[in-house]
Amino acid sequence: MAQKPKVDPHVGRLGYLQALVTEFQETESQDAKQQVLANLANFAYDPSNYQYLRQLQVLDLFLDSLSEENETLVKFAIGGLCNLCPDKANKEHILQAGGLSLITNCLSSPDEETVLSAVTTLIYLSSSGAGSHPELTSLPVVQCMLRFSISANTRLRNLAQIFLEDFCSPSLVAEAQSQQAHSALGIPLPKTKLVPQQP
Amino acid sequence: MASSDGKPGSVFDHHVQTAVCDSRARYREGRRPRAVKVYTINLESQYLLIQGVPAVGAMKELVERFALYGAIEQYNALDEYPAEDFTEVYLIKFVKLQSARVAKKKMDEQSFFGGLLHVCYAPEFETVEETRKKLEERKAYIARATKNKDYYMTKKKLVPEQKGTNDSRQDFHPHMPGFCTTSLNTSPENSSPSLPYSCDLPLCYFASQSNFLPGEHMDRASNSCSSGRNHSELSEHCNYSAFSPKVQVNTYKNSLPCSSGQEVITTSESVGRFMPRTTQLQERKRRRNCDHELGMFPETNTGSNEVVIGPKLPGIPTVDLQDDSLNTTANLIRSKLKEVISSVPKAPEGKSEDLHTSHSQKRRRI
Repeated sequence: MAQKPKVDPHVGRLGYLQALVTEFQETESQDAKQQVLANLANFAYDPSNYQYLRQLQVLDLFLDSLSEENETLVKFAIGGLCNLCPDKANKEHILQAGGLSLITNCLSSPDEETVLSAVTTLIYLSSSGAGSHPELTSLPVVQCMLRFSISANTRLRNLAQIFLEDFCSPSLVAEAQSQQAHSALGIPLPKTKLVPQQP
Repeated sequence: MASSDGKPGSVFDHHVQTAVCDSRARYREGRRPRAVKVYTINLESQYLLIQGVPAVGAMKELVERFALYGAIEQYNALDEYPAEDFTEVYLIKFVKLQSARVAKKKMDEQSFFGGLLHVCYAPEFETVEETRKKLEERKAYIARATKNKDYYMTKKKLVPEQKGTNDSRQDFHPHMPGFCTTSLNTSPENSSPSLPYSCDLPLCYFASQSNFLPGEHMDRASNSCSSGRNHSELSEHCNYSAFSPKVQVNTYKNSLPCSSGQEVITTSESVGRFMPRTTQLQERKRRRNCDHELGMFPETNTGSNEVVIGPKLPGIPTVDLQDDSLNTTANLIRSKLKEVISSVPKAPEGKSEDLHTSHSQKRRRI
């Protein structure tokens, strides 16, 4: 609404994405920022855009947006990362850029979709082999997943179970379970519509 | 908004239709007004929730409609789901996620038995295994897509080199008539010497290739032209090449590959060295008539077999203009319009003839 950059149809996909990135960086309107970020996140669903997104450093843009105060921006950014992280090149970029801690922070978001996207992103980041990045299965993360796995929210429960079953060794899970009883819970559950059933 | 206890079958935020965004910058407005939403693989599902189904016992029709997009594994009504009065809510499980995606895209906001459907994904109905499979398929799809893209990008570099040689070879034979006719079409009035082959490429290419005597070319051209009796495209080609024999030696050279590629036709019909300009114009007119006839086919058939879709076009309304002279004028115009519309097949002929005569007056060449 603030600006209307003119995009020549001949400029094509790269030009359009560039225009989006530019608007995101320059606009002061929160609405416009959200719209643009959602637009980019949806583009991140299509693998044919990945080279452009990398070229325009949209991955870094998503990672930076994870630290925004606006919950909606965080939700869209982690959604974008979730969409593009199954790709190998994107995965490496995210891990090298230190995105892991930013993503793990999203596990404590009050927004349901944010948490779901974060769990899925961790699943995809782990799927090439967690050995290279042990922080993917660090204790706080596993404990968090354990709590999610008994949640009443089916989607969260399913995803957490997949994470635990596919990427965590039984010993690790057992250790996390035993520690959980004693240590302070560091990562709160999302507020939206969840009733955790404590055993 | 949300009811719930978080169990499948309760209302979730992702079931609720988000309001459409109306403050988008023009350059990024889509074709349809859409809400600001991000779709991730989490949100998508082979399960679709369909709300707003009129309670008229149309479950079977609903399922049939959705089955157009892919195989349905199971379906059932969700009786406990909060629904508006006189509407029902259904859950449909597709075998493939892709079918569900397409069905959602096509069926959302569609009217059904007088109601407007609202279709959304319902991933909360998935089992762990189904979710796992969904994530795996997404990963595999991306791997495939990026691998293909790499392969395609490397292949693309090879293709243009090969294509270049292929094209030139193809141009050598079958495209010659095509070139002739296109030049015919593009410059009907201009039969000046620089014509007939407006494309530079074949000209250059062929000019360097052939080195026959003009006389021989002429005979060959006439051979190929004898099939012109049937008013084939070849005849136009022949007309052009035959018409401008003096103009350019190149034309003979160009005609050669074409004729050599054709069968040798009997020379029973001898084509004169000079084709009068009127003949070419008549050929054009004839072709134009053919096109019109072809174009007219749908209209002529509507009366007989074709199903007429859409409302019948209203005729020209007659309006009383409250004045005799004006009415007379209006009636004259109306009748003229009717005459013109009804005589469309004839009109071009008349026009072309007019053109032709006027042209022959203006552009007579000595």
